[in-house]
Amino acid sequence: MCRILAYLGEPLPAQALLFDTDNGLVRQSYSPRMMNTFLNLAGFGMKAWDPTSLRPDDPFSYRATTLPSFDRNLRFLSSKLAPTCLIAHVRGVTYSDEAVVADTNLHPFQFVGARVALTHNGHLRQFPRMRYALVDHVRPELAQRIEGTTDSEWIYALVMSQLDDPCGIPETRELADATAQALRILRSVRAANGIDTSSPVNLCLSTGRALVATRFSFDYGWYPPEDEMLETDLPFVSLWYAIGGAYAERDGDWQMTAADPPRSVIIASEPLTTDHSSWLEVPEYSMLTAELTPSGLEFETRDLDV
Amino acid sequence: MSDGATAGFLATVPLLAGRNESDIADLARVLRRRDVPAGETLWHQGEEARELLLIVRGAVSASLHAPGGRVVEIGRAGAGEMVGELALLDGGGHTMSVHATEPATVLALGKADFVALLARQDPTTFSLKRRLASLFTARHREQLRHLAASIGGDVVDLPGEDAARTFAELEYCGPPDSKYLRRMATFHDFDPAALWGFLTSGRYARCPPGRTLLAEGVPSTACCLTINGAVEKVLIRPDGRIRVGLAGPGKAFGYETLIDGLASPVTAITRERSLLLVLPREPFDQLFRREDAISRVFLDVIQRDLVATLRQSLRPHARLAASV
Repeated sequence: MCRILAYLGEPLPAQALLFDTDNGLVRQSYSPRMMNTFLNLAGFGMKAWDPTSLRPDDPFSYRATTLPSFDRNLRFLSSKLAPTCLIAHVRGVTYSDEAVVADTNLHPFQFVGARVALTHNGHLRQFPRMRYALVDHVRPELAQRIEGTTDSEWIYALVMSQLDDPCGIPETRELADATAQALRILRSVRAANGIDTSSPVNLCLSTGRALVATRFSFDYGWYPPEDEMLETDLPFVSLWYAIGGAYAERDGDWQMTAADPPRSVIIASEPLTTDHSSWLEVPEYSMLTAELTPSGLEFETRDLDV
Repeated sequence: MSDGATAGFLATVPLLAGRNESDIADLARVLRRRDVPAGETLWHQGEEARELLLIVRGAVSASLHAPGGRVVEIGRAGAGEMVGELALLDGGGHTMSVHATEPATVLALGKADFVALLARQDPTTFSLKRRLASLFTARHREQLRHLAASIGGDVVDLPGEDAARTFAELEYCGPPDSKYLRRMATFHDFDPAALWGFLTSGRYARCPPGRTLLAEGVPSTACCLTINGAVEKVLIRPDGRIRVGLAGPGKAFGYETLIDGLASPVTAITRERSLLLVLPREPFDQLFRREDAISRVFLDVIQRDLVATLRQSLRPHARLAASV
């Protein structure tokens, strides 16, 4: 299990999202408030798009298996970076000798040459039983680029395989449809392999201009006997968003300012502040899309019935 | 306000009906009286709860703060009514901000005293829990009425659905693995023997996804507790549906009718294939009315579920308010 964060909107120092608030993403690595019996200490990663930077369609990338709360490089860099789009992730793994903590397993995933990046909060139970059945649904040139051992990287390859051009920048609708189609394929492959236990798939994908996020689970509420993740997975894995004008500090409190139409959105596994009053919970089984347009931020929530 | 006057007022509070004079006098001694001017905020949404308030005179308004600085009034309370108890019961922050709409006098009951009041095992405590369940059910209905009014339109009838037949046609099966049940957060705090007594009071049934188990506006014939899977609680209107809750493992639905005799306030449809503990009216009534260890587990499960349901049903209110 992990924690994810996405931002799209007006330029905002990354530090505000990662460090400055009382429940920022870095704090969620060692003190998540909405996840039982689990920490996220297996590494940090982020992609940040800045339209004023060199090659603006390429994000700034940072990944490290060190603990982000003690990562001074991350703190210094995040204070100098003011992206219009960012996705970030703190990774949690099960406490077992089978878990692999390595750079190649850190999110966000983005194949070389691709314009889409993905983070995942959740896990596909019994993934080794279905991994190689997914090969039939992944473009060979993408399957060859899978470097790590995670289910998340396979989900990424599966979504990318549904795009007309995996190296192009897809329209928001195409990315959303590709994500839903990837979930349908996962459902059918799970069924074909007799896998019917709870598998949360909270995803966040970005092109730097748009975000697609899901709050979803396969077979929610069903667990294998003696499952070590039971207590973590009994509640539906959380996802929240804050939408408005700009994320700003006022009188010591971080809040999204009011704006109509909105100009900025934050999507996160947990609200970045202990005061939730400016945050909304994403409904279970739903997909969010957000896109920056000349007239503001276009934002939509829809039921995800796959 | 003297202890005697306070006791006199407490004797008129419906929630405390049935308590003897000694109980009322004890309660009067731990309550703190406070006069509140019109407009004063008693607490803000999200703040840690330290006390509940019984309103002696005047009135207060409970408002939900939604993103974008929008505020929606969800309800009002007047003399003899109580505010602030939800957050005391589940340890979360206050669900809404509360302010006095006119000069008011309130009696404050601290968290420790409220917890102690509910921890006792005498008949008046069972009675208090039943009254709390009725109060929360009424409040839940009020929240849903408010929400339904916001979205407009009439209830959409689901043709061919018959609640009594639905439950008769479920695929009944044996109880699930007790190890799994014991690990569910809903059941952590209970005595294992009493818990097992409750969990064997009904029948277990498997249900495929997409099955309508309850229809809004139709009385429910059973209370269900989800053991595995998930059941959506929705309001269905001509322009669409709003999910007001999701009953995943350890969460219940269908009990409102069995508590207050009114029709189901929501439609309940299985989202996932589900394993349910089904308690028809008769065993439900026995568990609700009895005063033993098994009944205590049951009343606590229902109370926790109602508190969680009240919190959950504020989510669509906030989303609607934010989209205005």
